Amino acid sequence: MTSLPMLPAILVDMAGSFIIIVLSFLSLRYAWLLIRRQPENFLWGFLFYFCLTLGCFSVSRALGHLLKQILLIFGYTEQWHVLAPYTGGFNTLLMTSLAAVTIYYHKGIEGYQAIQKKADSLRIANEQLEVSADKLLKLNENLEKIVENRTQKLSESEKKFRNFFTNSKDMVYFCDATTRIGTMNPAGFEMLGYSMQQAPQLGLQDIFYNPEDLEKYTEALTTMGFVQDLEVEFVRAEGTVIYVLLSATAIFDENQKFSGCEGIAKDLTRVRTMMKQLASSEKMASVGQMAAGVAHEVNTPLGVILGYAQLMMDDFSPESEEGQNLEVIERQAKACRKIVADLLKFSRQSESARENILLNEILEDVLAVTEHSLNMDHIKVSRDFDEDLPIIVGDPEKLRQVFVNLVNNARHAMEEQGGGKLFLSCHYEKERDQVTATIRDTGHGIPKKVMAQIFDPFFTTKSVGKGTGLGLSVSYGIIKEHGGVIEVESPVQTADGELKGTALHVKLPVPPLESAIVIKDNHREP
Amino acid sequence: MNVQKRLHRIFPFLLFLLLTMFPGSAWAVQSHGAPEGLYVHQFAHIFYTAALCYLFWGIRHAVFKSKGWRYLQIFCFFMILWNVVAFTGHALDALAGSVTFSSDTGYLGTRILGPFTSLKFWYYFTKLDHLFSIPALFFLYLGMKTLYRNTMEEKEV
Repeated sequence: MTSLPMLPAILVDMAGSFIIIVLSFLSLRYAWLLIRRQPENFLWGFLFYFCLTLGCFSVSRALGHLLKQILLIFGYTEQWHVLAPYTGGFNTLLMTSLAAVTIYYHKGIEGYQAIQKKADSLRIANEQLEVSADKLLKLNENLEKIVENRTQKLSESEKKFRNFFTNSKDMVYFCDATTRIGTMNPAGFEMLGYSMQQAPQLGLQDIFYNPEDLEKYTEALTTMGFVQDLEVEFVRAEGTVIYVLLSATAIFDENQKFSGCEGIAKDLTRVRTMMKQLASSEKMASVGQMAAGVAHEVNTPLGVILGYAQLMMDDFSPESEEGQNLEVIERQAKACRKIVADLLKFSRQSESARENILLNEILEDVLAVTEHSLNMDHIKVSRDFDEDLPIIVGDPEKLRQVFVNLVNNARHAMEEQGGGKLFLSCHYEKERDQVTATIRDTGHGIPKKVMAQIFDPFFTTKSVGKGTGLGLSVSYGIIKEHGGVIEVESPVQTADGELKGTALHVKLPVPPLESAIVIKDNHREP
Repeated sequence: MNVQKRLHRIFPFLLFLLLTMFPGSAWAVQSHGAPEGLYVHQFAHIFYTAALCYLFWGIRHAVFKSKGWRYLQIFCFFMILWNVVAFTGHALDALAGSVTFSSDTGYLGTRILGPFTSLKFWYYFTKLDHLFSIPALFFLYLGMKTLYRNTMEEKEV
């Protein structure tokens, strides 16, 4: 090879210059897009200025080269020699600037990294703060929810126990260490007859009828810590006594010192009365049965004695000693037969009529008969009869006998004190569909110890010769026969709050309308 | 970091030292002869090469590891090569007296006449410096494009 053509180098130079111009502009375009997209990013700023300077340098150089090649191709060598120092100098200037821009890159990077680091740490701190805030918020929300749930449950529980306390039909109470009742439910106040305003002054000593019971109650609480099913008597505000079943638990403070008690008391008065009535009823039934047996057995020989006595009386003149003796026998035999007849009435073995009766009329009849003797004993009679009483069915004679007995008993109770008041009332109780006649006196009342015996045959508190002790027994039997009851209340609380006298309540059922017809059929009960 | 700082500090001093090593005539107003332009240009090449090396090294040690930055490193590499070639080319231009040309058929028909030495071949080779500068600019273009696309993707995410 003797020579080497420069044409490839010339062509490469021209084509390369053109390509470099294109690539410089493309690079600058992307650098411009970058800086537009993220103007705050320092790196893109650096790259933009770098590309700009490089572009200037490349364009300057490439144009210089193209100019050179064109001038030389067309033979303008002299012109090129004039221009060459300028393009060269300019290129040198731009290349130096490019180097300077590049050198300062590092400082910018350092600054950028420092800012980036700070920004990152701030971002992390912010994220942590957000996480913490989120946790705190959730915790707060949960806490609120928990508190809300607990409050709701507490409220429901409180409501439940409050309802139980308020609506309980039994007395529920709380006492302090001095047995003063601090809190008591409405049923308790109702049971004891006190008002809510009296609660602060109320102590257990005020409601226990027997101080020994209170002592027993307190001792059990302090020693055992509880009292279970203790049967005691409470005294109501107006003085009447009620029977209660008491259960209580002691409350001790943190030092195990007795600080009070909480208890429940159930009123058993009604149950107890019913049980007594049941026992009494059973007793009376057995006594009646026995009385009926005795009466039947005595009635026959008594009839024989009376018969023979009357036969013999025909054989002797009444003035003779024998005749007078036989009269005594006849009189006493008749007295015995009356007693036997009363016994049979008590045991409901006697004949009974069944008629429609107005109880007011019966009571008026009885008062008409007894009023004279009542006046004699300075007893004032007070009537309180309902006008529209329903008709009852029964034996008017026997009922008259009942009320005569009761009025006589009242009169006897008041005659010792030289008079008194007799209250007769008659009312219809629609709820129980019964007519109640009450005979109340202001006498000495019935002692508690004999209360259970007053209906027993031959039981009397009157002196010998004044009564047989069959009056109340017979009355009891007659009322039982009519399907009713006799209730005794003694002593009775008067309108002025005094406890005095006795009241007997005769309660007779009102028959259904279809059976309340005018009948007069006599019949004997089996 | 310390090395960078030191280089940064001593660079103006070195430049100053380099310029003052060959003072020429110590006149108040120094006259500048023709070779001075060439020297300045060559210094600029050196300065630019140093700046590119520094950029290459900076990218390598920075936290930026994405593809776009790697393209920029390749740009630096090719541009450094171009600087070396260009620097050599300018140096050989100064020695072009030993290279003989024939331009009997015009500028486009210019030929380098033999006998051929390595100097002539190197001379010829340095005239093809675009073979380095074009790839360098191409990778710069790729780098910028990739970085831009990355930012687009980040935005979409």
